Amino acid sequence: MDRPTFVPAVFYKDPIAALKWLERAFGFEISSLVTDAEGRLAHSEMTFRGGALNVGGEWEGAIVGAARMRSPATVEGVNTQFVRIHLDDGLDAHCERARAAGAQITDEPSDQFYGSRTYRVVDPEGHVWNFSQDVRVVTGEEMEKATGLKVHTSLVEAGHG
Amino acid sequence: MADWRAPLMSAVCYLDPKAAIAWLEGAFGFEVSMLIEDGEGNLAHSEMRFGDAVVMIGNEWSADHKSPKSIGGKNTQTVHIQIVTDLDAHCERARAAGAEILVEPATQFYGDRTYRCRDPEGHIWTVAQTVETVTREQAEQASGLKITGWV
Repeated sequence: MDRPTFVPAVFYKDPIAALKWLERAFGFEISSLVTDAEGRLAHSEMTFRGGALNVGGEWEGAIVGAARMRSPATVEGVNTQFVRIHLDDGLDAHCERARAAGAQITDEPSDQFYGSRTYRVVDPEGHVWNFSQDVRVVTGEEMEKATGLKVHTSLVEAGHG
Repeated sequence: MADWRAPLMSAVCYLDPKAAIAWLEGAFGFEVSMLIEDGEGNLAHSEMRFGDAVVMIGNEWSADHKSPKSIGGKNTQTVHIQIVTDLDAHCERARAAGAEILVEPATQFYGDRTYRCRDPEGHIWTVAQTVETVTREQAEQASGLKITGWV
């Protein structure tokens, strides 16, 4: 399989525990695991329905300049990015599996105005995950009518070119 | 929705998401595929496409969603961009757009040529292109690491 174009890297204080939790709660599968001589995790990759993500520990160093890679658990629950995962089917069952694994469900499964059914979950270290399944096709016009928002396909079209 | 959507999509938070969108267009060649605004022109949601992949660009929409710029340069997640050609040219384009190049393009022991940069609000982006086929044994020998599941 070709590597996807975008692969999120997700940082944890305890990445080994995170790998196990993501397997159990979400059904992600470990596809690559790199450890040093002491058994510490150096790199890992998980796959899920054709997508991939890296799970790693907190780190910093010259190769990232002033940046610091940190778990949300270290920064009072803040996320600078989060991942949305598309499911072809089984959204409600997926939510129940996550709940049974101890996931904190912050938004129960519900249908959204943009045609998706979604649920939102926070993992044990505070990363936010949003699962989404398409349930109906909604046009831009319908979306605008339902929300009062304006839907564009470019910055220029939106008047910011 | 269209079937080109990747199953996993990162949503990246910015203090100024419209500036970020313009910057990502110039630096990385991402293209806006969806932009949703409220009546005052504030960004509610956006998606940018790059090849067959999509990334979402958003604002600090809750106390738990912040730009690295707001929390001292910390990143809780980053995005790795895998391209298939011209990594060095990709880097030069990003540099010309004002990206801070943290690591210049270099070929890694696992066969990818990579560079790493920081965008104006402090998100870290790694860009990679596979340039050599390396076996697991070669990579373990070169790095001293133990590798499981090499493909």
